[in-house]
Amino acid sequence: MATNAVNEFNQQVKPVSLWADAWKRLRKNRMSLFGLWVVGIYFLVALAAPILPLYDYTEQNLNHVNLPPSLKPAGVVAVAQEQKAIDQITDLVKNQGRADLQPNLDQKIAEMAQLQASLAADPTSNNVYIFGTDYLGRDMLSRVIYGGRISMMIGLVGTITAVLVGIIIGAIAGYAGGRLDNFLMRFVDIMYGLPYMLIVIILMSMVPQGTNSTVVLFVAIALVSWLTIARVVRGQIISLKNSEFVEAARSMGAGTGRIIFRHLLPNTLGVIIIFSTLQMPSFIMNESFLSFLGLGVSAPAASWGTLVSEGVQGMELYPWRLLVPAIAMTLFLFAMNFLGDGLRDALDPQSKNRA
Amino acid sequence: MMKFIIRRLLSLIPTMFIIITLSFFLIHIAPGGPFSGEKKLPPHVLANILKKYHMDEPLGAQYLRYLNDVILHFDLGPSYRYEDQSVNGLISATMPRSIFLGFVSLLLSVALGGAAGIISALRQNKWQDYLSMSVAVIGISVPLFVIGPVIQLIFAMQLHWLPVTGWINSRAGWVTLIMPAVTLAFPYFAYIARLSRGSVLEVLRSDYIRTARAKGLKESVVIGKHVLKGAMLPVVSYLGPAFAGIITGSIVVETVFQIPGVGRIFVQSALNRDYTLIMGDIITYSAVLVFANFLVDVIYGFLDPRIAYK
Repeated sequence: MATNAVNEFNQQVKPVSLWADAWKRLRKNRMSLFGLWVVGIYFLVALAAPILPLYDYTEQNLNHVNLPPSLKPAGVVAVAQEQKAIDQITDLVKNQGRADLQPNLDQKIAEMAQLQASLAADPTSNNVYIFGTDYLGRDMLSRVIYGGRISMMIGLVGTITAVLVGIIIGAIAGYAGGRLDNFLMRFVDIMYGLPYMLIVIILMSMVPQGTNSTVVLFVAIALVSWLTIARVVRGQIISLKNSEFVEAARSMGAGTGRIIFRHLLPNTLGVIIIFSTLQMPSFIMNESFLSFLGLGVSAPAASWGTLVSEGVQGMELYPWRLLVPAIAMTLFLFAMNFLGDGLRDALDPQSKNRA
Repeated sequence: MMKFIIRRLLSLIPTMFIIITLSFFLIHIAPGGPFSGEKKLPPHVLANILKKYHMDEPLGAQYLRYLNDVILHFDLGPSYRYEDQSVNGLISATMPRSIFLGFVSLLLSVALGGAAGIISALRQNKWQDYLSMSVAVIGISVPLFVIGPVIQLIFAMQLHWLPVTGWINSRAGWVTLIMPAVTLAFPYFAYIARLSRGSVLEVLRSDYIRTARAKGLKESVVIGKHVLKGAMLPVVSYLGPAFAGIITGSIVVETVFQIPGVGRIFVQSALNRDYTLIMGDIITYSAVLVFANFLVDVIYGFLDPRIAYK
C-alpha cells in the first residue's frame, strides 16, 4: 500500500495494515476480547508457575487426603471433616437406636485424637488448599496449574508442528502441481479416511512401558494433524500462484523459494493463524482424551485429562476433585474458541460476521 | 449417477488395502509384543506360542498370510490376550451395541441440532437464537469426558433419576441408553446447530427464496420446501466427519458409562498390546467409516443436482 494513498475525494488517508485493521475489529468483539484475556492469564500463570507460591504438585500428605476446597488452614478443615463423620455416627447411635455402631464411634474418636496430635506436630497443617486436595493429599490448585502447563504445552507444540509440516507440504503440493501434487494429496486423502484418534491410540500403545510418553504424545499428535492445514495452504497457494504479483516477482528474477516464502505464504498467514487458534483447543482435548483413557501423559506428570479421570473416581463423595480440573479446562477451551471465532471474523475478508 | 456410485465404490478398495497394510507394518515394527509382559516366559514356551500364532515366520510371509485371511476369509485371527476367542467373535459381539449407540446419537444430534439451528436462524437475535447458540458453544468447548461424568454426577448420583452406568438389559430397561446417547450427541448437536443456522441464514438471503416469496407462496412452504432443502446440504456433508467423531467419541462414552462395546475392547487391546485385536478394530472401524463417507457422498449427490458426476 502506498504511503500517500488518497480516497475518492482526493484526501490523504492513512494506510491501515492488515494487523491494525484486524486488531480494531477484534477489539469490538467483546467475547473474543474476553477470550484473549483469559488465554493470556492462563499462559501467564502457566509460565510463572515455578515462581508462584504453590505447594509442590507431587507432594503427598496423608493427613490432608480429600479435603474440600476451603480458605481455612488444612488442619482445621481436616478436623472439621472428622468431626462431621463423628457427629453422623453419634446421631445414628443415639437417635436411631443403632447401638451396634458404638465400636465404630469409639474408633473414630480415637482416630480424631490421633489426627489432632499428628496435625499439631505437623507444620504443613497451616497449608491452605483453596481448591481442596486429591486422594493422596496433594494440592488441587497446583495440580491444576501444572496439569494446565502440560496440556497447554502439548496444544502449543502440536499446533506449531502441525502448522510447519502442513505449510511445507501444502506449499510444495500447491506450487509444484502436477504429479507431485497428485501424489501428496492422495496421501492426505487416505490419511483423512483413517480415524485420526485411533492412529494416535495405536502409536501410544506401541510405546514401550516406562519411556517418557509425553514426547511420544507430541510426535503422535503432530504426525497426524498437519493434514487440514496442508489442504488449506495448498488451496490458497493454487489460487494465488497465477496472480499478477507473483508474475511480477518471477519476471524480476525471484526464485521459487523466494516466491513461496516471501510472496505466497504471507498471503496465507491469516488463514494459518485462524486455523492455529482453532486447532489448539482440539489438540488439548485430544491429549486429555488419551490421558483420560490412560494412554497419555504418565505419572507423576499430570495433564488436565489425567486430573479429570482421577476425579471421576470418587466423584460422588469428593465432587471438587472432578469439578476443579473440569472447570479449569472448560474455561480455557471456551476462551480459545471465542478467540478463534473472533480472529476469523477479524482476519478473514470473506467472513460473514464481519462488521 | 450409477457410474459415479460404482466408481466411488471401487475406490474404496485401495483405501482399505492401504489401511490394512499400514496398520500391519506399523504394529509389527513396534518394540515389545503381547507376550513380553512383566512375567518372563520360559524360552521354549515362548517359542511354542510364537509358532502357534505364526509369529516366527518372516514378516513378509506373516503379512501375506494376514492379507489372505482378512480379504478372502474375513478372518481377523485369534486374539492374543483373550484366549480361545477370535477377533471376529469379540468384534461381532460388541459391535452392535456401539453401532446402535452411535446411530441413536447421530439421529439425536441431527434432529435436535437441525431444529435448533433452523429456529435460531428464523428468530435471529431473539432469545431462542441466544439460548440455542449458548448451548452450542458449551457443546463445542466441553470435552465428552467432562460432560459424561458431570451429567452422571447430577442425574444419577444426586437426583437418582437414571442408573449411573450399564447397558440395556431386561432389568434396567432402555433408560440406560439416555445418558450415553445424550453425551455422545452433544458436541455434534452443537456443530450441526451452528452449521444449519449459518446456512439457513445464507439461503434466506438468496435470490430463489425471494422469487418463491414473490410468487406468493405461503411462508410455511417457503421455509419447509425451499429453504430447508438448500440449507441442509452443509449438514449432510458434515455427516461424514460427525460419524467419524462419534466413532472415536464412543470410546470415551463407553468407558465412562461402562458399556461393553467395541470402543472399550479397543482401549483394552491398546493397553494390553493385543495386536491382532487392535488391527481387527482398526480395520472394522475404517471399513465402517469409509463406507459411511461413501454413503454421505451418494446422499449428497441426490440432494444437490448441481453436482456433476464425472
